Amino acid sequence: MKNKKRLYPFTAIVGQENMKKALILNIINPNLGGVLIRGEKGTAKSTAVRAFEELLPEREEVEGCIFSCDPCDVSTMCDECLEKNEKGEDFSRKKGKMKVIDLPVSATEDRVVGTLDIEYAIKKGEKKFEPGILAMANRNILYVDEVNLLDDHIVDVLLDSAAMGVNTIEREGISYTHPANFILVGTMNPEEGDLRPQLLDRFGMVVDVVGEMDIENRVEVIKRRLEYEEDSEQFALKWESKQKELREKMINAMKILKDVKCDDDMYRTAAKISIELGVDGHRADISMIKTAKTVAAFEGKLNVENDHMLEAASLVLPHRMRRRPFEEGVMEFSKVEELIRGIEND
Amino acid sequence: MINRYVYPFSAVVGQEKLKKALLINVVNPLVGGVLISGEKGTAKSTLVRGLGNLIQDMEVVELPLNVTEDRLVGAIDIEKAVVEGKKTINNSILMEANGNILYVDEVNLLSESIINALLEVSQSGISHVEREGISFTHESSFVLVGTMNPEEGGLRPQLLDRFGLYVDVSGSEDLNERVIIIKRRIEYEEDPHLFINKWKDEDEEIWNKIKTARELIPSVKVSEEIMKLASEISLKANCSGHRAEIVMVEAAKAIAVLNGRKNITIEDIKEASELALPHRMRDLPPNVSETEEDQDENNEEDTQEEEDSNEDLENEETIDEPPMEEEHEEEIPDEEDDMEDDENQEDTFDLPSSDEETIDEIGDIFKVRDLDIKPLDRKKRKGSGRRSIVKTGELQGRYARHTISKGKPRDIAFDATLRAAAPYQRLRDKNGLALAIKEYDLREKIREKRTGCTILFVVDASGSMGAEKRMEAVKGAIMSLLTDAYEKRDSVGMVAFRKEDAELILGITRSVDLAHKKLEALPTGGKTPLSLGMYRGYEVLKAAIKKDPDIIPVMVLVSDGRGNVSFQGDDPHKEALEMAEKISLEGIQTIVIDTEQDYIKLHLAEEIAKRMDASYYKLEDLKADEIFTLVKDNINFQNISKIG
Repeated sequence: MKNKKRLYPFTAIVGQENMKKALILNIINPNLGGVLIRGEKGTAKSTAVRAFEELLPEREEVEGCIFSCDPCDVSTMCDECLEKNEKGEDFSRKKGKMKVIDLPVSATEDRVVGTLDIEYAIKKGEKKFEPGILAMANRNILYVDEVNLLDDHIVDVLLDSAAMGVNTIEREGISYTHPANFILVGTMNPEEGDLRPQLLDRFGMVVDVVGEMDIENRVEVIKRRLEYEEDSEQFALKWESKQKELREKMINAMKILKDVKCDDDMYRTAAKISIELGVDGHRADISMIKTAKTVAAFEGKLNVENDHMLEAASLVLPHRMRRRPFEEGVMEFSKVEELIRGIEND
Repeated sequence: MINRYVYPFSAVVGQEKLKKALLINVVNPLVGGVLISGEKGTAKSTLVRGLGNLIQDMEVVELPLNVTEDRLVGAIDIEKAVVEGKKTINNSILMEANGNILYVDEVNLLSESIINALLEVSQSGISHVEREGISFTHESSFVLVGTMNPEEGGLRPQLLDRFGLYVDVSGSEDLNERVIIIKRRIEYEEDPHLFINKWKDEDEEIWNKIKTARELIPSVKVSEEIMKLASEISLKANCSGHRAEIVMVEAAKAIAVLNGRKNITIEDIKEASELALPHRMRDLPPNVSETEEDQDENNEEDTQEEEDSNEDLENEETIDEPPMEEEHEEEIPDEEDDMEDDENQEDTFDLPSSDEETIDEIGDIFKVRDLDIKPLDRKKRKGSGRRSIVKTGELQGRYARHTISKGKPRDIAFDATLRAAAPYQRLRDKNGLALAIKEYDLREKIREKRTGCTILFVVDASGSMGAEKRMEAVKGAIMSLLTDAYEKRDSVGMVAFRKEDAELILGITRSVDLAHKKLEALPTGGKTPLSLGMYRGYEVLKAAIKKDPDIIPVMVLVSDGRGNVSFQGDDPHKEALEMAEKISLEGIQTIVIDTEQDYIKLHLAEEIAKRMDASYYKLEDLKADEIFTLVKDNINFQNISKIG
């Protein structure tokens, strides 16, 4: 495996701080609802997601379970693991790593949700469920490149699972339910068409990436790329300490996340912002607070501060404001800022 | 089922109306379910799931969108067939749903064949299975609960009527309420176990209330007066059929017993009407006869009630305000008024008056009639709802049904094939396998694909369109078409031509939102380079076809046909006609929407339409013949609740 090219290190990506941050936050707190990365071609969207895989944390999983169930969490187990647990059988556990599971745009529905195992049926005359991509995605990142080009009926399925964390199959003679709790990461090029509002709303965050405008940064992008192409091994080594640093910061954030406190004022601000901007439903408010807490945790703080709220707002709001005519979807961020800063003066 | 935590019903803040509607249904399943319509993230699903968790003798059976027919209605049990050679039926969703809540999230996105199967059963409460050599009948009565997001398109009137109640939900506007919502949700996510325990007693209390109410309900008497009031209200609301008043009375019964009463009050009926009417009210003039369909469907069930309500028609109760009249005034689109005005205008021959630019607002948006867009080179199959285009041999789309394969199968439905083969296994030579499959067992998938056409609007934005709010009406019409296109999952694009140029203002996209913005900002003014606009549109569609040869290209030309700028130096009109011919030869389907409004009609657009072999509509003719008020409960609802 020596000659296999190393992945481009995540920390070596120049700029794109928002995108990087969004990915990191979603790993620290898998309940944030994933991220949609919008941007033109060649803005390191895919590179970032691929590179991110290396930073994904370790976790415990049940050995031999296709859904990589968490041996410590009864509430999200698949039926088989649950049965074992109820019988008091011991799981053989193993250390696993969170993975990035690809959902190609051309995937057929049976591959996504799972289907009847034909081979088994013909050999044994019995029905058996053959798991699909959603099964593999459980407790992992489900990555959809060009998510806006997905077929409609696949989107419907995705919506269902993303909402419930469960995949229900009632088709082709199969009736089966299994956990499908995944972090949804999508990329899209807005020129190729929009996302259905339903699916858009399912994404906890949206980041827009643009090519670097700064000449020096652009030069840096080329430099690093060339260096990497020349000797990926060497390049990775050079960045190893940065990678390690980030990994540790993430692990620390995961540890302290549950202890992060949030003032009542922050809740009020979140609600106020949503009302002012006329967002649909309540998902934005809830996301804002959850994200702000995670931002705080990432910075090693135990209290949510205004800056955390502001950052959270910039991630969770852009795609949710469609009622008011904000021309070209550009958010009036100054308004949000005003509201957040406003609490100090109240 | 996976043992997952369910957010407690009682912990949901607000949404009282929806909560009530759900409770009414579980207390009295005769009400016939509820359709929940509303924006994203408003606890629609949470409440339904919470309810299922709270009620101890009913379950929530989910109907996933990608369900196949065999799982919905049942199919042969392969294992039994192989081992015992017997044909028995599998446990189907409709069997599981019996006596339970059947929950369909995003019910407006269900495929046609599944909707039809569902309609049949939800009406009779009995499922007849006649398939794969099995004949079997079983009871299947359930509380049908559906959710929908109106952005994604409406529901067929038949299916709409099948839901007893209708609730429109939206997010809370109250700051304090919103704060509590966030807090509770986050508390729940941080420790679901603790949170559920905290709300256990409250949930229990609701369950007890339901039990008490259920015990009371058989002893509720419905007085003559109440029946009269109910039919009166539904008559005033111009509801089709008689289901409205029946549902109203059944719901009122549940409301009464939920309040611990055995008698129905006027208040109860009022509350019931708010839930039972919104999706049944039609904004047609009262003299229009009721739709035959609905009549037929209802005849069997409500003969008795029909008598009751018919008697009541003459009896005028004291009703303050008849709801329909006011509503009427609002519903008449301004646009028509404008047109009449316009015709009286001394607007002579309409050369571009000036280069002055105006930006008109978007006029009335209405439900568009079926423009019968169909591919020129492909057969249009069944399916009245969306422009469902079924393409066999194309391995895309949702598999909902299967058929016996003819010739060489290309898309084998393995499950159906196995089921077909299963009963004969004892007789066959199997070569060591458990199942031997013969050629005549083979079944093929029937797939449904909704993605339809690529519609390019070529819009005349010249000065002549700016006159007398004409553009406003045009924008309204285009927006209506766009909305229709979104619901049918068409892709849209827009070319506008004015002054000297034709500009692609919106590339082919599926974003109606974007289209809306572009349309809103579209200025009018200047000359009319019609032929150039057509040419640009032709180019855009050609490029789109090149990219994906499977698309069905449609050009919608919105103009009065009075081109007065040519781009090749010919006579503008002649050039437009030549362009038209070219487009028609290219296999692009075309629709011309004529906006001509002057006294002296030149019929230029009509001429172009002929040459282009296009469907031709006048702007005024675009509206759907039958306008059902589907999901607008803002239409003077206060008036109805004032009754009594």
